[in-house]
Amino acid sequence: MNPLISTLITIGVVLGGVLGGCSYLIWLERKVAAWMQDRVGPNRVGKFGLLQPIADGMKFLLKEDVIPSHVNKVLFLLAPTISVMTTMLALAVVPIGPTTTDSTSWQAMIAPGIDIGIVFIFAVTSLAVYGIILGGWASNNKYSALGSLRASAQVVSYEIPLGMSILGIALLSGSLNLETILQRQAEGGIGSWNIWFQPLAAMIFFTSALAESNRLPFDLPECEQELVGGYHTEYSALKFGMFFLAEYTHVITVSFLMAIMFFGGWNFPWIATPDSHYAGAWIVKFAVLHTKVLACITFVMLLRWTLPRFRFDQLMGLAWKVFIPLSLCNVVCTMFVRQFSLSWWWLLPVSLALVIITGLISMTPSPKRAASPLQH
Amino acid sequence: MFSLDTTLLAQMETPWAIILPVIVIGLSLVWLLPRGGKGLSRLSQILALALIWGSLFSLTGLGHIAVTDVLFGVFSTGAILGGICMITSRNSAYSALWFAIVTLSVCGLFLLRSAPFLSAATVIVYAGAIIVTFLFVLMLAQQEGTAGYDATSSSPLLTTVFGMVLFGSLILGISSWPKISISAASPATSAAGTEVAKAPAAQGHRYFTSAETEQANAWSRHPEGEVGSLHGLGRSLFGDYLFAVEFAGTLLLVACIGAIAMAPRRSQGTL
Repeated sequence: MNPLISTLITIGVVLGGVLGGCSYLIWLERKVAAWMQDRVGPNRVGKFGLLQPIADGMKFLLKEDVIPSHVNKVLFLLAPTISVMTTMLALAVVPIGPTTTDSTSWQAMIAPGIDIGIVFIFAVTSLAVYGIILGGWASNNKYSALGSLRASAQVVSYEIPLGMSILGIALLSGSLNLETILQRQAEGGIGSWNIWFQPLAAMIFFTSALAESNRLPFDLPECEQELVGGYHTEYSALKFGMFFLAEYTHVITVSFLMAIMFFGGWNFPWIATPDSHYAGAWIVKFAVLHTKVLACITFVMLLRWTLPRFRFDQLMGLAWKVFIPLSLCNVVCTMFVRQFSLSWWWLLPVSLALVIITGLISMTPSPKRAASPLQH
Repeated sequence: MFSLDTTLLAQMETPWAIILPVIVIGLSLVWLLPRGGKGLSRLSQILALALIWGSLFSLTGLGHIAVTDVLFGVFSTGAILGGICMITSRNSAYSALWFAIVTLSVCGLFLLRSAPFLSAATVIVYAGAIIVTFLFVLMLAQQEGTAGYDATSSSPLLTTVFGMVLFGSLILGISSWPKISISAASPATSAAGTEVAKAPAAQGHRYFTSAETEQANAWSRHPEGEVGSLHGLGRSLFGDYLFAVEFAGTLLLVACIGAIAMAPRRSQGTL
């Protein structure tokens, strides 16, 4: 097939999947929230409220599109566009299904064979903060400005542990290409999934990624109780919808990355291995990958109603004083194992030991803090 | 493929073909730079930018059009016009945003020169962190609109003259380079693996051949097809330039410690 046409088809499939997926993720989020708070949740439009996302989408489209008179109009309109564009661009290098090394056949990703893979995703998503900053600043409103100031500090800080946490995987796989990382895990089976060797990195990556996408417990840029709506206070109708879409797309991308980098991607014992060539094997692999992604998304949603929001100094302390040193230790341990050709299984107890040591350090009361209780 | 950077410039006989566009660019810049008062209308701004772009276009002399040429045109136009908008904008926040456009365009140029990692790293560090910090500071400082001293450039004529002299001499210098054919410029190992012509070695510049560096450092041996890839970059950084990289890292660490030492403590009242 013409590579141009097949790429266009892939882009269409990914775009349609993400847009539809996002609207049903919002439905899922509301159902999970209702279930955790012992409510019923959306149940008026369609069976189990299944048509609710369509009704919400229509509402986004048909509502009056208000642009307040005191805003900087160019930047006000640019901000949600940047948010959506950057998060969509990041999906270009994520394999959404099993890929092959055969370059002539159809690949289940938009841009296969990108050597820098994961670094590209970090680069593009690091631009997403412009959407938040510009949105908050252009709104010309104190709450919005405060929200965007928080967001810029938060996102810039958490990019560092996010990038450092995957260095261990790059060392183990010898590549930053997501397909290669996946392939190495798939060939070794469940025993070679990166989660066994990099559990600490998985935790740091997942938490930092949550902070990057401004999800609870890291939603300080938009927390309702303090800042009305934070950076999107002045946004209405489809412009607000685009911010919403960007947040959910970010969650989807993060879940794909978790499934691919740490949980073996489409690999599952017996039913989906590199050797399984039975009829419909491709579908099974596709389903396995997407089940893992859905599980990760559901976990994100459960977290939302489990953990309270961080205070701002706690948020900064977590990034700079806990995650960055921990991820550095993780990289050093991985380098040790690679350099002296030790068994990779050493990394599992070492990671657990690092977590326990961190916990012990944080529980030891510091004499300075005890002396002045007001200065936390 | 990259016909526009050296070959066509080298064909230009008269220096007037360089001097004239440089003067036009300089005049347009003086016209554009903010000097208080009401400022230019949108139309004259666009006209000045178009003049600059046209002059640059005449400097490059675009030959046959390929996809890479179009991309090169887009990215270089973005970089140059973004840079001009950055220094001529009256609003500091817009200046920072134009700076982001410049960085992204330059990263696009890196991509065209098959340096994807450098490009992505520059986006992360510059566009994703440093310019965000600029915006952060600007927004804290200037929520009530820009101050008068920020909205004017201090000596537009002098800066433009000096800048244009530098620019013109740079263009003249580049145009006097010998014509490089791509086959010689791209490092291609011969079957024996002895000689690699990385750059114009004939011009009196001294470049190491791979045989020489291999004697000095076995790590800098580039296997076939690794040039431009992540492995090639890593091998080069931690093989050819190991001391420079380590020295830069140490310098940054010292600067970090110094910044922390100089920053006021919380007990001293600030922060």
